[in-house]
Amino acid sequence: MAATQNTTQKDDKAAAANPAEQQQATESKPAALEEDDEFEDFPVDDWEQEDTEAASGSGAAQHLWEESWDDDDTSDDFSAQLKEELKKVEASKKR
Amino acid sequence: MTLVIKFLSSIRGFVLEQNGDELRNWLMVEHDVPSIYFEMSNELKGGFPINSPALENLIDKSLPQEDNVPEGKGSPWPGFNSFIKEYLEYWRDVDFADIVRLHSRLSDLLNSCANALANPTYGTMLLQTSMSLSESLSKLVMNLTRQTDLLAQIQGDMTGEESGERKSIVELAADIIQKIFTSCLTDRSSTRWSEPKGKKVAVYLFANLTLKLLFACDKSRLAVQMFTNLSTSGPALSLFPASQRVTFLYYLGRFHFDHDHYLRAEMCLAEAYRECLPQFQKHRRQILTYWIPANLLLGRFPSWALLQRPEAVGFADIFFPICAAIRSGNFVAFHQALNLNRDWLWGKGFYITFLYRLKPLVWRSFTRRIFLITWQGTAGEGGNRAASLSFEDLVTAAGYVQKLLEGYVPAKPAARPRPHSVSKLLVKAVTNSAAGEADADSLLMPPPGGPRRLMPSEGLIFGNKRPDLENMESVVAGLVYSGLLNGFIARQQKRFAVEGAKKKGGNAVAAGWPNPYESILERFQEAHQDALDACDAGEGVDPPGEMDDVPGWVRTPP
Repeated sequence: MAATQNTTQKDDKAAAANPAEQQQATESKPAALEEDDEFEDFPVDDWEQEDTEAASGSGAAQHLWEESWDDDDTSDDFSAQLKEELKKVEASKKR
Repeated sequence: MTLVIKFLSSIRGFVLEQNGDELRNWLMVEHDVPSIYFEMSNELKGGFPINSPALENLIDKSLPQEDNVPEGKGSPWPGFNSFIKEYLEYWRDVDFADIVRLHSRLSDLLNSCANALANPTYGTMLLQTSMSLSESLSKLVMNLTRQTDLLAQIQGDMTGEESGERKSIVELAADIIQKIFTSCLTDRSSTRWSEPKGKKVAVYLFANLTLKLLFACDKSRLAVQMFTNLSTSGPALSLFPASQRVTFLYYLGRFHFDHDHYLRAEMCLAEAYRECLPQFQKHRRQILTYWIPANLLLGRFPSWALLQRPEAVGFADIFFPICAAIRSGNFVAFHQALNLNRDWLWGKGFYITFLYRLKPLVWRSFTRRIFLITWQGTAGEGGNRAASLSFEDLVTAAGYVQKLLEGYVPAKPAARPRPHSVSKLLVKAVTNSAAGEADADSLLMPPPGGPRRLMPSEGLIFGNKRPDLENMESVVAGLVYSGLLNGFIARQQKRFAVEGAKKKGGNAVAAGWPNPYESILERFQEAHQDALDACDAGEGVDPPGEMDDVPGWVRTPP
């Protein structure tokens, strides 16, 4: 059974290494849309809060989402068509 | 027999030292083990036939229960010896080519391990082994669910249950892993809010493993009981390592997403994303895959800054056309945007959700656009006229869009000057369709071969149903009810009347079409307040907790 005694769990090995280096091997190619759905185990068990985006405060998070996205421009094609249609139907009603 | 005896002797040594890591390292079950395991397997086949008590006797002799166990040391216990017997029988009988049998033996082995783990004194030393066996069984089950012929064999074997109610192999495996999870959850070595000790350290490891299995097999609904147990007595998530927190919140977010709780999903996924190190791009991408849809459904669009991030490669192509269609209130573009990446959206389970649940946002923008086009009064010039939107205009505009969806094409200019009645008859003759009745007054005419027959979901209202006044009134009523429009329906006037324009400095558009994200959040707050009021009124309902409570997510009390 000697062979098994050398078996070391990947977490233990990884914990001592730099997380960035660990990640490099698996993240070198850009993810394609048909990627696997599995949420893989992390190569390290724990990391410092300071290294995460959470530590940089809510300021950074605010740029991630658009809450006011309304479009007031009615000069586009779709609006022009709708205007035209409304006008035409309105005119036909008056006939 | 030498190998078996040596093996048991080593196991005893690890038990006495309570060395859980080595127990895991030695108690291997997969096919890619050193050859010595197969040598031991042959030895077991030769020396310990089925139904012979020899193996049990050898184990009891090799792993005697210790009488005086010094502090910090361990001893074999009956449950452990049963597990070791099951383990050696597994190696005696194993045939990695017979996956059906392998599944059955591995399930039995994990069950036996779970029983041994439940021992309050020494069970903890089997945590690592429980984990590795659970991983092996999960892996096998996930593979099996992709092989329908083998799956049918296993499911066909499970006819023993009297009630006729058969559990799937996913459920059975999840049940065993959840048994281990419960063992960890109920460990009394530490409280809910203190540093986890004993088996409690593995609560979220087993929760995550169960979730991984359930989600991989599309059985996430089976996680309800586990989340309920966590909410009731689970330790605070913040006491556990970051990798476990992020993984757990990712699955919890997906669970709430699957159950249409987009606000809860958003909170979990936001925290998972923020806590995940930026270099773990693959993980962040997985989180984003669900976080963006959760936000879309709450009325928030991903920013360019987000879509430009390395983990979001390709997402702009999917989400940007959808956002653009919602923004412009263009149903044709909306359907096109969904169909553009239909396979991906369908595969992730977003297609139907988006089709039905984003539609109100498209209607909101559409009604807003018609208001912008038709409402003449602007700030300061509106006089006494209350800002309003005519349902008849909506019917005309919606009818136009419906025709576009049905494939209508621009009418030829030459056809326009025809007398009204002739044109009407002609159109009828050409299309041979009742839907074509009003087309003479439209910019559009039916396509050659007639309008497309739409599926119920492809039409504005329902298939080829032409939108009418009642439909528009009901659409607007729905938008008002959900808070996306602010105003009331003046039925006599057949109009939607905007409220609160004065408060918005005369800006009727801002008053009638409030910020969607804020409106949706307000509705959640109102629902929460209603629940609080119902509780105060003694209506016998459970208190709803805080607004940002997420079932399953145990946060440290303030």
